[in-house]
Amino acid sequence: MSAPTLTTDTHSTAQAPATPTTAGDAARRRRPAPATGLSLLKQGAQNGGRALWRPGAILLFLLLWELGPLYLAPSSTRVFLPPLHDVLGALGALIAKGQLQNHLVASLTRSASGFGIAVVSAVVLGLLVAWYGALDRFLNPLLEVFRNTAALALLPVFTLLLGIGETSKISIVAYAAFFPVLLNTIAGVRTVDPLLIRAARSLGLSNFTLFQKVILPSAVPTIFTGIRMAGTSSILVLIAAEMVGAKAGLGYLIVNSQSSFLIPEMYAGILTVSLLGLAVNYLLVGVERHFSRWRTAVGSGNG
Amino acid sequence: MTHSPIPKISLQSVGKTFTVRPTKDAPAGSTLTALDGINLDVAAGEFLTLVGPSGSGKTTLLDLLAGLTRPDTGKVLLDGKEVTGPGKDRAVVFQQYALFPWRTAAANVSFGLEGPGQDGKRLSRRERAEKARTYLDLVGLAGFEDRYPHELSGGMKQRVAIARSLAYEPEVLLMDEPFAALDAQTREQLQEELLRIWRTTGKTIIFITHGIDEAVYLGQRVAVLSSRPGRLKEIVPVNLGDRTGDIDIRSDAAFVEHRHQVWALLHDEVLKAQQAGHAKILPDGTAPDEAPQPTSGKAA
Repeated sequence: MSAPTLTTDTHSTAQAPATPTTAGDAARRRRPAPATGLSLLKQGAQNGGRALWRPGAILLFLLLWELGPLYLAPSSTRVFLPPLHDVLGALGALIAKGQLQNHLVASLTRSASGFGIAVVSAVVLGLLVAWYGALDRFLNPLLEVFRNTAALALLPVFTLLLGIGETSKISIVAYAAFFPVLLNTIAGVRTVDPLLIRAARSLGLSNFTLFQKVILPSAVPTIFTGIRMAGTSSILVLIAAEMVGAKAGLGYLIVNSQSSFLIPEMYAGILTVSLLGLAVNYLLVGVERHFSRWRTAVGSGNG
Repeated sequence: MTHSPIPKISLQSVGKTFTVRPTKDAPAGSTLTALDGINLDVAAGEFLTLVGPSGSGKTTLLDLLAGLTRPDTGKVLLDGKEVTGPGKDRAVVFQQYALFPWRTAAANVSFGLEGPGQDGKRLSRRERAEKARTYLDLVGLAGFEDRYPHELSGGMKQRVAIARSLAYEPEVLLMDEPFAALDAQTREQLQEELLRIWRTTGKTIIFITHGIDEAVYLGQRVAVLSSRPGRLKEIVPVNLGDRTGDIDIRSDAAFVEHRHQVWALLHDEVLKAQQAGHAKILPDGTAPDEAPQPTSGKAA
């Protein structure tokens, strides 16, 4: 029973940040029109249609998932593509046994530590590189090489050097999350309006104060864009790493279920991964929006 | 004008040369003289306007006064002491407002109040907010403390910028075409308010402008710079009597005469600057029009 509530819950939170903004936009656009009974009715119908239209594709997809295997697919395929209620049942069972929570915690711990290490080190290095031109010229070619080496291509190297334990997984997540943050930090510092620097300099600010009061706040929105990108890629890489060699985690759950022929459990794992990804993304989008209020507001003001 | 024995600001044969970045056409690079032998005294509490054609080094002169750059020859003196760097005894107001977009109007105004003041004392958060309110009130923006710059019009932004410069109580206000980006009505309004603020605060103001009307209307003296290299061509004293009344100064005979005088001085220089193809010297000291001139500039 708990399984459906979980999905609808995550679903509604996932929709939450988007719906109020569109409703708000719509209300703003319509404000000048006189609010007669008819127009209110029309507005209500439009809003209702919009409310159904947005999750429409997802509902359709879930419906297809539920009915397709039962009525469209041959029975041999049905084994590998169980209908939605089987998957949700398996998900419920996994939650009831506490297994899913264990895997989720294992995955979250790894990705959060790797992600955290990456964000801190990349922001610090990014600030240094952007500030000291010589360091940038020296490091840039090497950084380009590493950046263009897919993180997963290095997975065997990480496993060989650091084993199949936590260290190698946290390291590869950190590696994958490092570059988006680094590059955006550099870009953020580089694109600070030189006029603002002049204005601050004319007050006789020291380099440090200038950095703290002008360059950093101005770069924050760009840095958070990088952090959001890093969040997505850290989960992606983690799942892959867990599939190759792990004793716990969502990636392990998926691969292990497959090899044990627990197909609904496998899909339950996949579903959890996608919900986790969505949740992380919305969280980071929210954080990013919070920190770039002054900047995004400029765009919406003009638009 | 009564000149006190030590002028507030004194420029003594000031010159500034820039190295032009090497380009394809001029691989060795070259130098350009932005300012040459400027001698100018400004008395305490004076309102001096500065006009000159594009590329005559107006902004360079302002940068020197602000201490953002150092002169190559001569000296810039403030109260008889040489200017060695930026300081809170001078404030700069820029054409493009230069407000910090992540700070509210009040937080922008209190920017210069953070950290040690001129007397080495630090203000508490409450004192800073109090001052910010006072100065926003002075520029007519009471009640806009919590607005972000993107929520303000151009005129309001420039008011905030002026309030920010006044808040840390500098003695000299350096203004680099502050009203050039505003529409005519807002500009006139702000000109009047600037005069009011100048009268009430008694600041020394150096005001750069492109507009001859603006220069004559605001300045007690109008300094005219020549085309590049910028030299001081002439200083025109403006005497329009008492300007506090409601009369339309701009159509006054004396105003028109002064205006024509400055126009005539500037006219030749503008022509010279245009023929030479001079454009603005960028803040990093390069002039895009200088380097490619021998080949592509003339051919086009």
